[in-house]
Amino acid sequence: MQVISTVREPLITGGKTIKDVTEDICKQVEGAPSKSWIAAFGLSFLLLAVGGAFLGDLFWTGIGRWGLNKTVNWAWDITNFVWWVGIGHAGTLISAVLLLFRQKWRTSINRAAEAMTIFAVFCAGSFILMHVGRTWLAYWCLPLPNTYGSLWVNFNSPLVWDVFAISTYLSVSLVFWFIGLIPDLATIRDRATGAVSRFIYGMLSLGWDGSTKSWMHYEAVSLVLAGLSTPLVLSVHTIVSMDFATSVIPGWHTTIFPPYFVAGAIFSGFAMVLTLMLVVRKVYKLEDYVTMEHIEMMNIIIIVTGSIVGIAYTTEFFIAWYSQVPYEQYAFLNRMTGPYWWAYWAMMTCNVISPQLFWFKKIRTSLMMTFVLSIVVNIGMWFERFVIIVTSLHRDYLPSSWVMFSPTLWDIMCYAFSFGLFFTFFFLFAKYFPVINMAEVKAVWKDSNPKVYKARRTISNDWIPENERVEEVVH
Amino acid sequence: METNKHFLVGVFNDQDDLLHAVEHIRHKGVKIHEVYTPYPIHTLEHVLGYKRSWMPKAAFMFGALGTTCAITMQSWMLGYDWPMIIGGKSFIAIPDFVPVTFETTVLFAAFGMSFTFFVSQGLGLFKVPRIFDIRATDDKLVMAIDLGKNKLAEADIKAILSESHADEIYRKDFTDAENNPTFMGYLIDLFNNGVTVSGRKLIR
Amino acid sequence: MKSEHSHHTDHNLDERFVFSDGVRKTIFIILGLGVVFFAIGIAMLALGGSGHDAHALAFSGGESGSVDSGHHGYHWTNRLVVNFWHNNIYFVGITIVGVFFVALQYAAHAGWGVLVKRIPEAFGGFLPIIGGLILLVFVVDAFVGNHVLFHWVDPSLYIENTPNYDPIIAGKQAFLNTPFFIIRMLLFLGGWYAFYLAIRKNSLLEDLEKHTTSKYFWKIKTISTLFIIFFALSSSMSAWDWVLSIDTHWFSTMFGWYVFASWFVTGAATITLGVIFLKEMGYLKSVTESHLHDLGKFVFAFSVFWTYIWFSQFLLIYYANIPEETAYYLERLSSDYYSKFFFVNIFLNFFFPFLSLMTRDAKRKVGILKFVCMVVMFGHWLDFYLMITPGTLKENGGFGFLEIGLAMIYLALFTFVVAKNLAKSPLIAKNHPMLEESLNHHI
Repeated sequence: MQVISTVREPLITGGKTIKDVTEDICKQVEGAPSKSWIAAFGLSFLLLAVGGAFLGDLFWTGIGRWGLNKTVNWAWDITNFVWWVGIGHAGTLISAVLLLFRQKWRTSINRAAEAMTIFAVFCAGSFILMHVGRTWLAYWCLPLPNTYGSLWVNFNSPLVWDVFAISTYLSVSLVFWFIGLIPDLATIRDRATGAVSRFIYGMLSLGWDGSTKSWMHYEAVSLVLAGLSTPLVLSVHTIVSMDFATSVIPGWHTTIFPPYFVAGAIFSGFAMVLTLMLVVRKVYKLEDYVTMEHIEMMNIIIIVTGSIVGIAYTTEFFIAWYSQVPYEQYAFLNRMTGPYWWAYWAMMTCNVISPQLFWFKKIRTSLMMTFVLSIVVNIGMWFERFVIIVTSLHRDYLPSSWVMFSPTLWDIMCYAFSFGLFFTFFFLFAKYFPVINMAEVKAVWKDSNPKVYKARRTISNDWIPENERVEEVVH
Repeated sequence: METNKHFLVGVFNDQDDLLHAVEHIRHKGVKIHEVYTPYPIHTLEHVLGYKRSWMPKAAFMFGALGTTCAITMQSWMLGYDWPMIIGGKSFIAIPDFVPVTFETTVLFAAFGMSFTFFVSQGLGLFKVPRIFDIRATDDKLVMAIDLGKNKLAEADIKAILSESHADEIYRKDFTDAENNPTFMGYLIDLFNNGVTVSGRKLIR
Repeated sequence: MKSEHSHHTDHNLDERFVFSDGVRKTIFIILGLGVVFFAIGIAMLALGGSGHDAHALAFSGGESGSVDSGHHGYHWTNRLVVNFWHNNIYFVGITIVGVFFVALQYAAHAGWGVLVKRIPEAFGGFLPIIGGLILLVFVVDAFVGNHVLFHWVDPSLYIENTPNYDPIIAGKQAFLNTPFFIIRMLLFLGGWYAFYLAIRKNSLLEDLEKHTTSKYFWKIKTISTLFIIFFALSSSMSAWDWVLSIDTHWFSTMFGWYVFASWFVTGAATITLGVIFLKEMGYLKSVTESHLHDLGKFVFAFSVFWTYIWFSQFLLIYYANIPEETAYYLERLSSDYYSKFFFVNIFLNFFFPFLSLMTRDAKRKVGILKFVCMVVMFGHWLDFYLMITPGTLKENGGFGFLEIGLAMIYLALFTFVVAKNLAKSPLIAKNHPMLEESLNHHI
């Protein structure tokens, strides 16, 4: 028997039945694409194509197009890479960490969040491929036998750790996401009225029949994948942070980087999930599944991670002073008051100060404010990476590299390309896949349906002897 | 190779009714073939008497394999095959090998277990499932009882099913072709006859 | 409400812990043994001369800046002072993590832990005593003693143009000076105690209600949230003050979180042990394997978290190889004496709990859980030993009767105070709005 305390809010509102869950979610997949969808998808695809043209030129001509003649000129592109990787953390966090913490509210948002994660990692990956310069040789990053005297990749390099981390993360997230999709794809298969869609969803659902034995193994697999993904998601941004922190550059080499990058990643990831979910929820009329409670919970996570990031900024500042190392002290002072003070304060305002508004219940339950602040947070997190990279590089140990950074057109268009890539994938996903995990929502339905709110019950895990059992429990 | 063709199907609406029913039916000595549900019901596997999933063990084994492979690979490549001094560290700098070792462990464990899951459950791109009731992926909980494997008469089982509050009870007979569907057969059927009259009889 | 749920287990919601003679006896035996060991330790040190062990010769690490220049050399009482400080830091961690754990349960709306929450809640009662000890040991060492703990309390370091002048430490004077240090200490300890009292008071008021009520739940949740904010800042800062500043030249931005991680695992292990011991004495019949499983998960997960923090800090310093940072690890790793502890530390705090608590069954078996928790408690005690001893005692660090004896005395004291505090209130918060969830918790 499981009891749910009355202090908890219901997870699904509007008196939905299980049948309604299937209907409401599948409807979007089965219907013809709406005009607004076609317009949005077209726009994303256009962005992808225009950005792609510049990217093609970058590949053809070389990354000199980015104006790379000083270290700091890399700033824009590395910022974009780290920013996208960071965004690509929330999905796995929601589906894995929150699963381990038994946060049932995750069921309505995990599917879209995971999809977003995967697409964000695609974008991050596209930046890795651009950075390589000769993209057709990118496979040299892998420890493959070669004809150059078996010169292996350098496993002491954080960049090689990154290759392993990002590719593992991407592929494991894909598997996790796909396994989560299987039962829902089977639902769509069994509802399909056209031979083609039945065939495609039939293939994709791998012949799932919902037998208890399959569910049992499925649940075990999900739990273990969650257990594996939790340290994995932490390791990814940890290793990204080590790209910087293993160096000796002041402002980069600081031991707090790993956990603080992870907190920042969760922070920006949740903000992106909120931005997208608020739109999807409105367009697909999913207000009963993604309720105010869900939004409030995500906002609380934003306050917590935003505050952790704030504490980390302060800690870095304090320890830089405390260390009494002049280089450290200069790096941080320069960050706050130097030529890039505006970027620093943009970061501080967006990341630390504005999320504190969510302490007010009125603000964290306001859709408009949540939407605005979620975008503000992502701007702030972009600036965080920009500040870290630019302020440390524009005044590094070598005075000949002291220049100010300004992006080239190719810098900007490659970033535009990544947005095009992200939204093209996201819109395709939102149209052809169920945006909410139906099976999981159905599984918590009984816990959370207000119609049965007062008399919720399920049977316990433990075998209760027949004679000690009562048929009905009346509250 | 499925050979049994004759089943009694009980359809339930409520998961608690189903759990009680499973207990009751098994208590009466009726063997349940399987229960098909649209969402996971915790405790259903306990009530059906299934052993706990062995997937975590598979994950552990694959993970251990990943750890071993990663440590061996890095130590051999950088320690023996082509040693180089990097950053003044030893050839085999264990702390530097930790990140890749960790990632490889997770990669092996996750993929190893997932493929074990697919293979052991017979899931695959070309698998055509044998479906008792199409609503089992929507909102109904479907219990199948194999008449060939139960000694009790059909009428008795039906009575037990109805006293355990099944919302619908009906008999389901599969043809040989339905019992062992092939992908090609399914394809031809799907595109020749259309969905609603496909080889698998659909109950709406 | 309640009677309907008692259909398969009888929940005794009014049970109270009786601080029986048997329990007292056990605590006094630990105390007695501790005192005996402690006395033997002191006698051996006082009679055995300067206490230089063989390892001293092999010692080669250390910050030259803070290795002493004459005026206060090694005396065996140094080791005594360091031991007191080591146990102070370790036990204040367990104590405050108890309160933090309760606060976390409220802030996160965790329902499963209601049945066991009185145990961590009782830890808070030890705060005045351990707080007093921290203040006392610091004051004694800084004003009366040898400046063993904190090199920076030595006023001669700040006088320019003298041989003892240390420009780095002098630069830190705005933060590292005795009055400000004591003010911070009082602020942290006082703040923690005030939050503990507020949580405790409302928690006990809830018991006096006639029915389940959510009034106090929301109130404690607010207090808990405020406490978590305060603790997020004060735990890091107290770690800088009490531990980081021992190696005065050294710095690491991660350090505050590192100490927190170590404290948290220890606290989780202590809470788990407390629950297990109470169950073994026949209390907490309603606590099932599922609750133990969750507690075990905390010990397991935070052992991994500690390792993550430990490794990240170590790897970055090892990799960049900057002299002012590596000093800390060299002091430990290039000493034949401390390097043993260094590896034992990783084994006891990572490999052992990780491998032994990995399976579901291990977390549900009282015997395994009890053993692992004890090892983890000991392991993190060693972790703090390794944080505190090398910087203070340098090559004169030792491990013997004195260390074990004093730890046992502290343990007995802690257990006594907590048990007494526990006996003051019912064991189960019977009016907690999430109690039913906890009573019916199955995983």
